[in-house]
Amino acid sequence: MTENVKSRIEAAYQALAEEARDQKETFDQSPLPKIHIGMASCGIASGALETQAAFEAALKDRGVEAHVHTVGCLGHCYAEPVVIIDHPDSGFPPILYPEVTPGKAKMLVKLFLEGGDPRFEHIMGATVENEMIPSVMEFARFNREKRVVMERCGKIDPEKINEYIAQGGYGALVKGLGRTPESIIAEIEASGLRGRGGAGFPTGKKWQFARNAAGSDKLIICNADEGDPGAYMDRTLLESNPHQVIEGMMIAALAVGATRGLFYVRAEYPLAVRILTTAVDQARELGLLGTDILGSGLDFDIDLFQGSGAFVCGEETALIRSVEGFRGMPRHRPPYPVEHGLDGRPTVINNVKTLATIPPIVEKGADWFRGIGTPGSPGTAVFSIVGNVTHPGLVEIPMGVTLRELIFDICGGIPKQKKFKAVQIGGPSGGCLSADFLDTPVDFDELRQAGAMMGSGGMVVMDEDSCMVDVSRYFLDFTQKESCGKCTFCRVGTRHLLNILQRLTRGEGKEGDIKQLETLSRAVQQGSLCGLGKTAPNPILTSVAYFKEEYEAHIQEGRCPGCACRTLTAFYIDLDKCARGCDACVACCPVDAVFTTSTRKKGIDQELCVKCGECMVACPPEYDAVVKISPAHLAPIIERPSEKKS
Amino acid sequence: MNPLSSEDLANIEVLKKQIKDAPKGRGQLIPLLQMAQNILGYLPDKALSLVADYLSINRSDVYGVASFYNQFRFNPPGKNPVKVCMGTACHVRGGEIILENFERKLEIKEGDTTEDREFSIERVACVGCCALAPVALVGETLHGHMAPSKVEGLVLRVQLEREKAEREAGNS
Amino acid sequence: MIILTVDGRSIQAPAGSSVLSACLFADIFIPHLCWLESDTVADAPAACRLCFVEIDGFSEPVTACTVTVENGMMVHTDTEAVRSLQKTALKLLLSVHKVDCKNCPADKACSLQDIAKFLGIGLGCKPFERVLKELDVDSRHPAFDYYPNRCVLCGLCVRICRDRHEQPMLSFAGRGFNTVVGYFAETSDTDPDCLSCRGCLDVCPTGALVEKSQV
Repeated sequence: MTENVKSRIEAAYQALAEEARDQKETFDQSPLPKIHIGMASCGIASGALETQAAFEAALKDRGVEAHVHTVGCLGHCYAEPVVIIDHPDSGFPPILYPEVTPGKAKMLVKLFLEGGDPRFEHIMGATVENEMIPSVMEFARFNREKRVVMERCGKIDPEKINEYIAQGGYGALVKGLGRTPESIIAEIEASGLRGRGGAGFPTGKKWQFARNAAGSDKLIICNADEGDPGAYMDRTLLESNPHQVIEGMMIAALAVGATRGLFYVRAEYPLAVRILTTAVDQARELGLLGTDILGSGLDFDIDLFQGSGAFVCGEETALIRSVEGFRGMPRHRPPYPVEHGLDGRPTVINNVKTLATIPPIVEKGADWFRGIGTPGSPGTAVFSIVGNVTHPGLVEIPMGVTLRELIFDICGGIPKQKKFKAVQIGGPSGGCLSADFLDTPVDFDELRQAGAMMGSGGMVVMDEDSCMVDVSRYFLDFTQKESCGKCTFCRVGTRHLLNILQRLTRGEGKEGDIKQLETLSRAVQQGSLCGLGKTAPNPILTSVAYFKEEYEAHIQEGRCPGCACRTLTAFYIDLDKCARGCDACVACCPVDAVFTTSTRKKGIDQELCVKCGECMVACPPEYDAVVKISPAHLAPIIERPSEKKS
Repeated sequence: MNPLSSEDLANIEVLKKQIKDAPKGRGQLIPLLQMAQNILGYLPDKALSLVADYLSINRSDVYGVASFYNQFRFNPPGKNPVKVCMGTACHVRGGEIILENFERKLEIKEGDTTEDREFSIERVACVGCCALAPVALVGETLHGHMAPSKVEGLVLRVQLEREKAEREAGNS
Repeated sequence: MIILTVDGRSIQAPAGSSVLSACLFADIFIPHLCWLESDTVADAPAACRLCFVEIDGFSEPVTACTVTVENGMMVHTDTEAVRSLQKTALKLLLSVHKVDCKNCPADKACSLQDIAKFLGIGLGCKPFERVLKELDVDSRHPAFDYYPNRCVLCGLCVRICRDRHEQPMLSFAGRGFNTVVGYFAETSDTDPDCLSCRGCLDVCPTGALVEKSQV
């Protein structure tokens, strides 16, 4: 590329950046208060739209002027809807408010925006260091994170490309345009970046293969077919900062010599689809996509394909089949998609997070990236941590942080003073680790060695009330339903594994079941055609290895140690604790199984009881009379008074 | 097979018009099925045939593809589709119990629609608000921290709203 | 020609052919259900998971249909690991198969019987429970009946139909455990091609497709 072209690209970009920065400056320097509302799917699910409407209505009603600024997701799901209010005139720094209901919104407009009182009781913290309000950065949930992929999530409006550009966005693309493809690939290889989709294959290597492949019609696909039932970081990223992913895709295209890109996004993610469509249109309008990008003479454009919901389409070859218009059934490899992909063209398939990691690496260099994380797994990991944990949500940490730090320090540990039992990592392909593994560092190789895997980054924390057999059953139920049905081991093998686990959770286990689970699991691992089948038995194998006593209790005693398997569990009312006249449990029972005894205390009809646990929740804590017990026959029988029976 | 309602028939005309402008090629199969389902809410045989004929693909082949993917349904959804989240967090917090309660209350199984086409129940993968688990959607509205006792209330509310709407329609 | 060693015997095969075709051509039997003689390595569906072999240099058994022959390759078709996987795969298939040979038109010409005999096991499926589909016969096709509980989903019929007709009339339908071979027509008119072709009927290894007049 001549110096002439380079300076033309630079000038074209600077013109865009200048306008974006001007807009940002005007916005930043506006004396009006700014209300930033987190508006990704999770925020909306928690009522962010209503909150926004309430802010707008209250501002109008009271004649207060302010900017309502919708942004993406900060990752703090436990606190949604999250709102940051920056009210310079009040003298306070920008303040983060959790759980802002419409009522709270109205109140904040009146008391804070109008009255200057930030209502300390509702504050989580200031977003910057200051002398008046403790900063959120003092909390481990904030200060232990290291954001590379999610750096701008929750700070910019994903539907305004200029907000991304004003923060230096598309600067890495300009750098990339000035470099040779070989030097970009070398930089990525040197960074040690491994694919964030789960398997951890070195990204630089994949690009090199595609670059070397014959054929000029190469293609980049961004795999946003996030299918793990407990993971949603790809969606959040696309909804919060789509341009970083697009920029990463464009750099990948430069490196491998592709002219087309395709986003494969789940149709179940309508908001992500909408935001991505807007983002691509805006990039095209500014000349960042399309023909002669920024005057470079290079062409690249992006299409969108909505995946129709088949977990197996996360597998590269199945994904390609589905884009081609067929049943998404994987085929054996080689040939790999980098040589023979969509319609036979060399195709690079990268995960959303992998692509989002590219611009920072190109911007700051491989050495900077290697400085984060562990030698074998440089960089950061994004997890969606859910389940029995105090502060669930999205967390981005440097690789190498231990599970204990992640669960207990950063995410606040287990609520309700319950004991930690297990953490499931990697979704249906991953494994359940026990407390013995809490000091395992998060790293591709360390997790695999422990029997789990990084997988998609879904992490489910379970307390003492969880049942490991039931969790295995849950995951096998999922993989069994999602098996494409092509190969024998996965189609039929997972069905038998599920059948055995179902028997166990019903107390119909037999001597030898554990051995059969293990033997068949190994066969399915070895015999299956694709990654789905090969990893499907992982939840069983790890939980049998680390929680064997739970399996034995189910088989030998018909007992579920977590009292989670409903057939093996019964609820009863401790008559010594039950209060006469309190009807809380009677009222809440969905099947009228709770009755009043002759002493006006309550009893549970075991025949009718569906074991939903409502009565246990409803029973006032000062009585705490509902007891859960396993095996079920241990529950004392309380006769329903005969006149009630009729 | 469900008979086509008058609404379905009208929607099929809409589909016929829209499909004419779509590009052709095997790769359009899934986008066109999605278009059909967006218009009709489900894929009756007639819609499958329209797509098959437009793309010159055999109908068996089209059904084979459609039946592979979770997104496509072959029976009409209810006016108030109930979607119960079966994500991992919701499972750990009792999502299946919520599903069962809806099934019991509406007297249909997951995947089915009530005879009056008012309600349908389906299980969905993680809707991404794990902190509110267990979660269910009725129509577009999300209900977090679901409990069995809330199920009855939700169903009742929809029914009351419908009755109210009918009364108002009758009065006017 | 490529020269490789199978079970200690030196055999020859054309370059580019799969280990499976090389072995079968040299009269070394490897159980298989989903493979067609015309299949290249890239075409092979590798779905039935029966043709496992061990090859020196590979850490675990591999499907012979997906590996291209190489000079000096050392292949073992009769190791413990191979037989164990094959027996498990066959038992898994039998566990969803209605074993009623006397009343099955494929009796004595059935690939499942042949493979079971070759592996020295019966037609039982222990330790697996037998799980059958509810629907025993699907009679929608005008020319033949389809028996889901006989079908092993090898896909040969679907592939033959695709090879012979521009618009194939057979397809897999459903997904996972509930996958079936399906035929769906809006009207009962049959493509005249269909009745004269019979490709699917001839290729079915287990009697899952039965011509209507035979019943």
